[in-house]
Amino acid sequence: MVLRNIMIGIIIIVLVGGIICWTLFSKELREGKNLPLTGVDFKRLADGTYTGTYEGGRFKWRANEVQVTVSSGKVARIALLKSTEGRPSEFTNELYDKVIRSQSLQVDTISGATITSKAYLKAVEDALLKAQK
Amino acid sequence: MTETRVAQSVNQGMGTVITHKAFGKHAEESIRAVCEVTVRMEELLSRFIPGSEISRVNRSAGRKCEKISNEVYEVLSRAVEFSTCCRGIFDVTIGPLVTLWNIGNDASKPPDESRIEQTLPLVNYADLILDPCEKSAGLKKTGQFIDLGGIGKGFAGDKFLEVFKKYGVSSACTNIGGNVVTLGAKPDGSPWRVGIQHPRVDNSLLGLLSVVDKAVVTSGDYQRCFIDRNGKRYHHILDPFTGYPSESGLASVTIVSDHSTEADALSTILFAAGMKKGLEFLGNFPGTEAILVDMDLQVFVTKGLKDCFQAGEGVNVNILDCGG
Repeated sequence: MVLRNIMIGIIIIVLVGGIICWTLFSKELREGKNLPLTGVDFKRLADGTYTGTYEGGRFKWRANEVQVTVSSGKVARIALLKSTEGRPSEFTNELYDKVIRSQSLQVDTISGATITSKAYLKAVEDALLKAQK
Repeated sequence: MTETRVAQSVNQGMGTVITHKAFGKHAEESIRAVCEVTVRMEELLSRFIPGSEISRVNRSAGRKCEKISNEVYEVLSRAVEFSTCCRGIFDVTIGPLVTLWNIGNDASKPPDESRIEQTLPLVNYADLILDPCEKSAGLKKTGQFIDLGGIGKGFAGDKFLEVFKKYGVSSACTNIGGNVVTLGAKPDGSPWRVGIQHPRVDNSLLGLLSVVDKAVVTSGDYQRCFIDRNGKRYHHILDPFTGYPSESGLASVTIVSDHSTEADALSTILFAAGMKKGLEFLGNFPGTEAILVDMDLQVFVTKGLKDCFQAGEGVNVNILDCGG
């Protein structure tokens, strides 16, 4: 009888513990997934070298520190200084290259061969859908 | 202190989508006025509107001349100038051929060769009669008709700028289905950043042009085209000599000029004429520059654009010692 009670107790503790751990873990995953990246106006950057850090969530799994160099108003270089995640450098380099390329090609408008309305409206629709996200 | 306001609009017109952005105390009024001009231009120039002046001239082909407004006279005489300059590779009497091919309207195979041969003699800008005193226009042969596809949007762009200036707007950017016209610089003094569409990769840029007070117009084989069963591409820029889509070895041509009419006509001309002849024609228009892309996707840029063109990812640029 006593043994059975102890067993039940252990099962309850394991279950409750599991639920708590899972809740924390999924919250952490969600935070990582939904981390908002907004507010940088790439058109207004002052030249210089800046260090940026992200503390990496509750358990600091994703903590990292980078150095960004801005020259002539554009992001010219991004270097990873510290990271707890340990992704291969090819991964981060490619990611940073993308940031550098996309900011450098930010445009006000696009010149292309004359577009008929249907194709163009499709693009406008696409843009508006993106804007709604 | 004068107040700077910003106004934007997106409208359908001239068979495409037209966007405007203007900065100035009277920005909103200027855009309203520009939209009215768009409607007026279309009502004058469109061959698809039965009541337009161009339709009137087309209907009277082979019979009589029609009185036309100053604007229509201006665009037709500019068109003839360009045709003369490029020895007919650009021709506003291309209408019958355009209708025969019907590209952009679900065409999927080329028309019969015999029909192309029958149509070709109708295409001849020398048959367009313009009377400067009477302000009238006419076509010599029955069945001939004018299609302003290669110049009309450019002409409208120049008219839009006149309206913006009249309303004291010092900074504006207009895009008529890919034809870009800029007025001044952006309000912060920086140049307008005009992306150039990649001719082979959707939603990708060939590069970026930084411009102030320029028109940027692109002609290419990648819009309004079809690919037949054998994988051959047929695009909308027809060669008035062969009756077939031009095959000059170019996939796209972008012209940068002070005037949008000129940029529109020259982009078509260079596209149809090819790199060597095209650059010779360009030499007749001081201050105009070009970006040419050949079939191997090699990019050639005239020297005046050297410092304002930034190539996209993986794009190699060759600087040409001409232009300017």
